[in-house]
Amino acid sequence: MTTATSTEQEHDLDLERGCYVYGVVPFGDELVPPGMTGLGEAPVRLVRYDDIAAVVSDVTSDRPLGRAADLVAHSEVLDALAGLTTVVPVHFGSVLADEDSVVQDVLAPGREEFADLLAELEGRVQLNLRATYVEDAVLAEVVAADPQVAALRERTRDLPEDESYGERVRLGELVARALEHKREEDTAVLMDAVTPRVAAWVERGGGGGIDHVVDVALLVDTANLASFEEFLEGLAEAVHERIRLRLVGPVAPYDFVGGAGWA
Amino acid sequence: MTVQSQHRRSGGGYLERPAPSGLADVIEIILDKGIVIDAYIRVSLVGIELLTIDARIVIASVDTYLRFAEATNRLDLYEKGKDLGEFIGDMQEGGASKKTSGAVKGVKRAISGGGDDEERRPARKSSSRRRSTEDA
Repeated sequence: MTTATSTEQEHDLDLERGCYVYGVVPFGDELVPPGMTGLGEAPVRLVRYDDIAAVVSDVTSDRPLGRAADLVAHSEVLDALAGLTTVVPVHFGSVLADEDSVVQDVLAPGREEFADLLAELEGRVQLNLRATYVEDAVLAEVVAADPQVAALRERTRDLPEDESYGERVRLGELVARALEHKREEDTAVLMDAVTPRVAAWVERGGGGGIDHVVDVALLVDTANLASFEEFLEGLAEAVHERIRLRLVGPVAPYDFVGGAGWA
Repeated sequence: MTVQSQHRRSGGGYLERPAPSGLADVIEIILDKGIVIDAYIRVSLVGIELLTIDARIVIASVDTYLRFAEATNRLDLYEKGKDLGEFIGDMQEGGASKKTSGAVKGVKRAISGGGDDEERRPARKSSSRRRSTEDA
């Protein structure tokens, strides 16, 4: 969006009230359930432009945003709406000056893009799938597969830390490499199984924990949701001795709206 | 008010289905996600920037290696009267083998008719890229 210059100045002021934006939906009468509240328990409402609408609520600047309750409220509003309609989530903490700004600066210039996204996401939900290793099982594999690891382990496990520092670093390095290799292999196998069954997917990164395998967001057709969950249950059973699968959702399609910068 | 799947199991399966509840879960789901509205248009409010700290750990440091070594040494392979060979043997029965990972066989067992294209491997995915697969 390139309409910044016209509004930049006035919005730099220390406003007492703002319009918190949760996301964008196809406009619909009575779309927002009566009594739905968002940040600070403020009523949630729609700001309409053409056939799309922003989901907003009023916020006041007498308290900083970003408390736990605010994050939870943000996700609750979006996830609840995702169960009712198609929604394009907006980044947490997006506050505009007023309804005019929501229309002029966001909805009007973004109309085409929002419509395209909404069409793409229609009838689909996001599931977050994370695979982690059963740590002892894979570490045992590593020890069994590499005599050097086994030997270093034997040598260092009963020594005081100071005396075995170098060897322990070497052991850890070998184990880390072996796990990285396993991770790539197992990720490929898992994703080969999962991705043909989803509309889209994106790797979510995730930590460098010993047990980390892969963490993905999956966009799934609602019509296929039940059978897909059943498939994952079977997959989880098949791999459970080495890998745990954890599924969160359905949630709003946070990972399928372009992320950083769509301007 | 989280959206619940109508088909959610009550539990007992191998697939873990936690409901996102705590702050950590919510942060993980929504942090840095969603359409970004131009910073010039947005009203700045104090407190938000704090949440964009990326706490991910990088695997590269000596400290991390030591952590791996420690975990490996913590492994209780012999102490329980089971030797390593036995342990691995158990895993093989369960679908693992020494050379290929257990997931490989397990998955192939789980998926009927999926053994044709073993050559095909997805390339490493970049975390910021989004991929569409052909219609499922």
